[in-house]
Amino acid sequence: MSHYESPIRKPLVTGDKSYHDVTLDVVRPVEGKANKSWWVVFSIALIAFLWGLGCIVYTVSEGIGTWGLNKTIGWAWDITNFVWWVGIGHAGTLISAVLLLFRQKWRMAINRSAEAMTIFSVIQAGLFPIIHMGRPWLAYWVLPIPNQFGSLWVNFNSPLLWDVFAISTYLSVSLVFWWTGLLPDFAMIRDRAVKPFQKHIYGILSFGWSGRAKDWQRFEEVSLVLAGLATPLVLSVHTIVSFDFATSVIPGWHTTIFPPYFVAGAVFSGFAMVNTLLIIMRKVSNLENYITIQHIELMNIVIMITGSIVGVAYITELFMAWYSGVEYEQYAFLNRATGPYWWAYLLMMTCNVVSPQFMWFPKLRRSIMFSFFISIVVNIGMWFERFVIIVTSLHRDYMPSAWTMFSPTFVDIGIFVGTIGFFFVLFLLYARTFPVIAQAEVKSILKTSGEKYKKIRAEKGEHAKLYDEPVQEPLPNFTEQFNSKSNS
Amino acid sequence: MSSEKKYWKSAEQLEENSPLVEALEQNEFADHIPADEFLGDKEKLEGSQTSRRDFLKYVGFSTAAASLAACEGPVVKSIPYVVQPERIIPGVADFYATTIADGFDFASVLVKTREGRPIKIDNNTVSNGLSAGKARVHASVLDLYDIQRLQNPQIENRDVTWTEFFSSLETDLKSNAEKKTYLLTQTFASPSTDKLIKEFQEQYPNVVRVVYDTVSDEAALDAFEAKYGYRALPNYDFSKSEMIVSVGADFLGDWQGGAFDSGYSKSRVPKDGKMSRHVQFEANMSLTGANADKRVPVKPSLQKKIVVEIYNQIVGKVASTNLSDALQNHVNNAITQLKSKSSKSIFVTGLQSLEAQAMALEINETLSSEVLNIENPRLIRQGQNSKIKTLISEAKAGNVGALMIAGVNPAYSLPNADEFIAALGNINTTVGFSMKKDETASRCKYIAATPHYLESWGDVRFTKKDFSLIQPTIQPLFNTKQFEDCLLKLTGNSSKYYEYVKTNFKSTFDGISWNQSLHDGSFSSNVELPKTTETSTVDFSSGARKLISESNAEGFELTLYTKTSLGDGRQANNPWLQEMPDPITRTSWDNYVTMSKADAEALGLTNTNVANGALNGNYVTVSLGDKKISKLPVIIQPGQAPGSIGIALGYGKTESIQEEMQVGVNAFPLYQDFDVNQNVTVDAVDGIHEFACVQLHHTMMGRRDIVKETTLEIFNTKDRHHWNAVPEVSLNHQEVKVTSPDVDLWEEFDRSIGHHFNLSIDLNACTGCGACVIACHSENNVPVVGKSEIRKSRDMHWLRIDRYYSSEETIVEDYDKKNNISGLFSAINTYGELEVASEEDVQVIFQPVMCQHCNHAPCETVCPVAASAHGRQGQNHMTYNRCVGTRYCANNCPYKVRRFNWFLYNQNDEFDYHMNNDLGRMVLNPDVTVRSRGVMEKCSMCIQKTQKTILDAKRDGRVIEDGEFHTACSAACDNGAMLFGDINDKESVVYKKAQDDRMYHLLEYLGTKPNVMYHTKVRNTTEA
Repeated sequence: MSHYESPIRKPLVTGDKSYHDVTLDVVRPVEGKANKSWWVVFSIALIAFLWGLGCIVYTVSEGIGTWGLNKTIGWAWDITNFVWWVGIGHAGTLISAVLLLFRQKWRMAINRSAEAMTIFSVIQAGLFPIIHMGRPWLAYWVLPIPNQFGSLWVNFNSPLLWDVFAISTYLSVSLVFWWTGLLPDFAMIRDRAVKPFQKHIYGILSFGWSGRAKDWQRFEEVSLVLAGLATPLVLSVHTIVSFDFATSVIPGWHTTIFPPYFVAGAVFSGFAMVNTLLIIMRKVSNLENYITIQHIELMNIVIMITGSIVGVAYITELFMAWYSGVEYEQYAFLNRATGPYWWAYLLMMTCNVVSPQFMWFPKLRRSIMFSFFISIVVNIGMWFERFVIIVTSLHRDYMPSAWTMFSPTFVDIGIFVGTIGFFFVLFLLYARTFPVIAQAEVKSILKTSGEKYKKIRAEKGEHAKLYDEPVQEPLPNFTEQFNSKSNS
Repeated sequence: MSSEKKYWKSAEQLEENSPLVEALEQNEFADHIPADEFLGDKEKLEGSQTSRRDFLKYVGFSTAAASLAACEGPVVKSIPYVVQPERIIPGVADFYATTIADGFDFASVLVKTREGRPIKIDNNTVSNGLSAGKARVHASVLDLYDIQRLQNPQIENRDVTWTEFFSSLETDLKSNAEKKTYLLTQTFASPSTDKLIKEFQEQYPNVVRVVYDTVSDEAALDAFEAKYGYRALPNYDFSKSEMIVSVGADFLGDWQGGAFDSGYSKSRVPKDGKMSRHVQFEANMSLTGANADKRVPVKPSLQKKIVVEIYNQIVGKVASTNLSDALQNHVNNAITQLKSKSSKSIFVTGLQSLEAQAMALEINETLSSEVLNIENPRLIRQGQNSKIKTLISEAKAGNVGALMIAGVNPAYSLPNADEFIAALGNINTTVGFSMKKDETASRCKYIAATPHYLESWGDVRFTKKDFSLIQPTIQPLFNTKQFEDCLLKLTGNSSKYYEYVKTNFKSTFDGISWNQSLHDGSFSSNVELPKTTETSTVDFSSGARKLISESNAEGFELTLYTKTSLGDGRQANNPWLQEMPDPITRTSWDNYVTMSKADAEALGLTNTNVANGALNGNYVTVSLGDKKISKLPVIIQPGQAPGSIGIALGYGKTESIQEEMQVGVNAFPLYQDFDVNQNVTVDAVDGIHEFACVQLHHTMMGRRDIVKETTLEIFNTKDRHHWNAVPEVSLNHQEVKVTSPDVDLWEEFDRSIGHHFNLSIDLNACTGCGACVIACHSENNVPVVGKSEIRKSRDMHWLRIDRYYSSEETIVEDYDKKNNISGLFSAINTYGELEVASEEDVQVIFQPVMCQHCNHAPCETVCPVAASAHGRQGQNHMTYNRCVGTRYCANNCPYKVRRFNWFLYNQNDEFDYHMNNDLGRMVLNPDVTVRSRGVMEKCSMCIQKTQKTILDAKRDGRVIEDGEFHTACSAACDNGAMLFGDINDKESVVYKKAQDDRMYHLLEYLGTKPNVMYHTKVRNTTEA
């Protein structure tokens, strides 16, 4: 093998897995039948999604007045949800692109699902800028396309326009990157498929992957190029989202610290969501040997670090408010902490700054239950961070005469719940139809980092024979021959 | 060239000798068509009734009918003028001068009509009389298009023709010769109407006329009559005043007919280091008290003592008053200043007592006040409300056979309305002259549907010298007849009231042109006013004792007042006025009890804000003798004198009022003896009331960038830097003014060519009356959203008048308090304290805020579709068509002036106001787009008006003069608080205003460079 890994290092794939075992573990959910609990969860998600859809239809047909917004607070749950979902979407690309460039092999077990999560959450995020418009049927006006209005063009000064570009670029690059990684795995499912329909579908999805050396070479190159493209996007998307606030004049929004602070927060919330999803998935889909405690621990460390960065950012904001000497800034932050929305600020501080600090303790960060609990807490905390930034800054800005409060209506809540439902509908469908682990990649580290092979090496020395030479036998048909080759 | 090509017709041709091919060669159709059988049957054909022509007719008709029925387009019945009226040019407005004289509001106005429809009321700037159109006057145009108006005369709730109406009524009146006929009318202040009523009385000698003012000024009338022999009200020219002392007189409100504010404002603007000083002693926080330099909250019983004390010290001692030391001190200071300014000082009181009013006249006479004008007294209140008692008792006794009621609604507005209603049952013939089937009219046998004043003729004598004419601006919309026309008919006079007024005018005012007067809307004349009685003297010492003895109140002392928005309630069905926030409480769609915080706490009453910020309050029951008003909500009012409460009249109407506007509680039952001051008991009751308050935070948090205020002393003695410093920022460690181009992030627009509009708002001249709010509403088709939406902080007003209370005793102390913050805990405590308004000694400040039209507008940069853009003339434009509704601009607006269309507000049953019916929509200004849902809107600086001015000048080929440009708000403001113009014209008033030392921009430090400027408020705090 190309790369030697010390047996002292913890194996990334546990449970004496052979190549074939990996294949079987990955295709099991796809080839098997859904169990009862999948149907239960899927039905709940579907109902939530449909309810949210109903609320969206109601909003579009009646007007934004069905939400709790008012003359002072023009954005509340809509943009909070938008930023929250975009933030969650950050983990996938970070894991698959940045960790690829840094050659972090532990990403291989989780990048597929993390990226699926990214795409599904960016879809949720993308909904909000459209439905929050007063006239969503004119949403295409934010695109710089030739039009019949003469020389009427979009306003390139507007951060909201930059958002349009940032989000759409991010979604498309992520999707391509994800799909590229999926090609060999789809091909694997295609090759195993026995039903013609399934075979046909996976044949289309795998874009005719043949498994030739040229395919692999192109695959590696494209992955590297896309990783290079996606890496700046990890930073740029949330930087641009933060510009929505940072370039404004509203105290509490107008802050230069926002870009790094938002990116850290996004990675923070993204990893928390990855933890939430994978802790469940490894259990349900029996993937404990791939998504190991070590993976969870590593992600917890990222959560801890990014959480601390976010904490520093919060404190820096407070410091800057004081140091600026601007009374509006000072009041904005004083009001955040002690005003009518103090509870939201407290919730944000506790969830985002205090709770990740528990991860300093190895015992806690290796506990599945605790990690799951903290991941939920962080998700809640990050939602409140956006709520605090948006609503508490707006509700008391310059003119005390315009100060007011915000209270969500059932529609606000319904749409948010609906996007969670939509997200899980997509994710559950994904879990049953897609290879949830990048098995082709995992197989590439099996010999260096698989428990089985490490054990052999530990027992028989470094140059032990790890496998028997395959005996070449005439095979009945080409496909099977090809299949066994591509899998080994 | 002939073609050799052979075309295949069918596969059959391949087969030789196919019978089908042969058949087809001879016949067109393969199968036999039975035409011969059909046509050959001559007998049948001839027997048929349908000829070939008929058949074609049927086909033609049915085709045409089918196609017509298929394309069912909207049928718009628009009939062009057969003969184009000379002056009506589509798209060009016509203006007519006329006069509102509804018995409560009197003003000479200019009416804008478009295509024959009146759409806007403006101030009549040519008029010398009462030209001050307040909010209600500006809103009155909407009453014309009220769907609740009576459309036909009625007898016993049945629509009838006028012929039937009069024949029946005349029979009834003539048969009533035995008994008395009462004529109960509003104050018309009209020479012609008065003359006509006299003629009517000559014809029917049993007619007794009673003039009834819904809100009475009888005490002042009596006092004036006793002293000067005329039944009139003294007139005041506050512009001449240097010292104003008012005891409970809300002279910037509706006191004695109101409209004193333009003169008042003139005296309030510091000029040559001088401005008037205004001391107010009052119980409720009134508009007047809010504008005072020194306001002392005192209960009505103490107010009476204060009047006596001032009389004691200025005219001569009549009774000792035993005021508390603190109060005595305030009163002494006021008296010293009254005396020192002598003829430039004025004393007024709002106490409804003959003695108090007589004392005020004496005090002013002793001071030889120039402000008081007795030569030109006001005639716009004539009520003899005490005579209504006689009417009711006579009716009870069965002595009244007929009652004619014109312009008033006693069944609603009398304190003993139930008695009156019972008495109505005793009267055979009751006639209501009314625009609405209101509480009174609905109980009358006859209802004469009367037209709106914009459909009527008439004349008005505001004061002894100032006259005004009423002329129609539109054909009556409904089958209506004005009261005077009815009287003419009843007196057998065949002429129209128009001719009557004109004849009367020509015979009375020799040498004055009728046409010119009609054009101007007003004229002056020195025609003698007949003395009503001989003068008599008032016994001041017994009067004073009476005033002082009344001062032993238990429970609460109530002061009833009329709101700026609704007045006496005759415009209660006007959604603009219902939605107009009260200048003081900023609450719309309600009346309520105003109570001091201490009293509210003692009764366990609170005001709380719910999760979305909306204001909630508790209920009380107010009882006066056997009268009891249950479930009145309470608003805790800073500055309310402890032990006193206030309730607004004019609410709680229910008849011919749209359900949404049946708000508030009728407080008239508490208006016993037509005295606004009553001793009542107040009990807390269960329940939570939902208020629609548009301003939920009441203090300015010591933010000097919002309203700048200083004292006259500092203003006169110190450099501008001390009281109106331009904020500075650091550039290379040097302090640089934010207005400097060096610290500007943006390229400056080239403003050298064309107009550059600026709006100047002088906070010294602004009284907060809200005329501009309604003018803006009416000019710009601003939607009405209703109470529940206002509760959600979704008011749509493009122009709002912010009201701030001081948290300390004065606003200047608030600034200092904030500046003294040091450290975190001090900040938390101080900001916490600054959030709460002062309880008793509180200063109030008003600030009109609309779009500031920033030259560097934060809204413009953030719109993704460039719907918010900058204009060459300084306006910040809002392109409704382009707006996709992201609301980013509203979030980024530091002034929070942008308004979003949360719903479709027009033609939507959820918002069933004037924009939801064909009649109400007639008021819409065709020059301004009615916005659809999902778009942002805001003040446009009335670009439709400025463009009109520019185009007119262009057509005439002339230069625009200063003063020609106007916005709706600047045109409505006759206080001189709002001035609009072109600062590229260096001679213009607004340019000079921009150079004034008091000038500042709102939140200047942000560098938004607004085109709206404010002028620092100066308060005259000189105590002696």
